[in-house]
Amino acid sequence: MKRLYSLPAVMVILLLFTACNGGHSPGSEVVHKPATHTVEITQMQFRPAALYIQSGDTVLFMNHDMVDHDITEQNNKSWHSSKLSSGQSWKMCFETSSDYYCSIHEVMKGKVVVR
Amino acid sequence: MTRILPAYLRYLSAALLVMLSTGVYAQKQTKLTDPEIASVAVTANQIDIDFAQIAIEKSKNTEILNFAKTMANDHKAVIDQAVALVTRLKVSPQVNDLSKKLLSDAEKTKAMLKRTKASNFDKVYIDNEVAYHKAVIGAVETVLVPQSANAELKGLLEKVLPALRTHLAHAEMVQQKLPK
Ligand SMILES: [Cu+2]
Repeated sequence: MKRLYSLPAVMVILLLFTACNGGHSPGSEVVHKPATHTVEITQMQFRPAALYIQSGDTVLFMNHDMVDHDITEQNNKSWHSSKLSSGQSWKMCFETSSDYYCSIHEVMKGKVVVR
Repeated sequence: MTRILPAYLRYLSAALLVMLSTGVYAQKQTKLTDPEIASVAVTANQIDIDFAQIAIEKSKNTEILNFAKTMANDHKAVIDQAVALVTRLKVSPQVNDLSKKLLSDAEKTKAMLKRTKASNFDKVYIDNEVAYHKAVIGAVETVLVPQSANAELKGLLEKVLPALRTHLAHAEMVQQKLPK
């Protein structure tokens, strides 16, 4: 039980404060309250094309176009959304910055910058 | 063969562009009616689906296949929107000289794509897609949008333009990436 209070354990708990699936601690004053931001997919563009957020924030992608789109991580396709039909949305929590594109329309690009 | 095909494509796209944009129609003062515009729009989208189907059958290149599937899906989505709109407006698409010309040109292009050797197919297909999207964008901008009487029809055609421009950029990207 004592190990729980060791430095690594405290660090793990601190990391959870900003982690995507971690809850926030009522006792802590440095916790960023996770926010949700929206990227609108409209007229074949991600708007805003560059979105600045804090770690642990969620981004909702909303497809307003009549055609399907998806959101795929650009560098090694490490994550991707399902295919979004017209009117559908998809959300993801970000801990690191990501460049992304639409794998259906490869010229459509955007990025989420965690700062 | 390799010399004849690009020339043919240049001729085709030039002919289409001249016809669609500048003006056979404007000069003859035969302004298209909304039912005729609806027919042209549906025909132009269906033609690109047909080209895509040939590519899906013939190509082994993943970039070409991905592009062709996108064309088939997107142009189908546009047709669905157009059909929903004309149904709601109680307009029946009316076959006309422009939609007939588009179809007869497309028949020649389809035959040409089908007989193109596999080794040369990807280039011929994507060159045609670049030319075809340029021609269609020109037609939508200079003929179909300005001549639409109904505001919703005009609005739908305007909404399709960003997709057409993205398709053109995508086609040009694939064209660049193809092995020379
Ligand atoms: Cu897309």
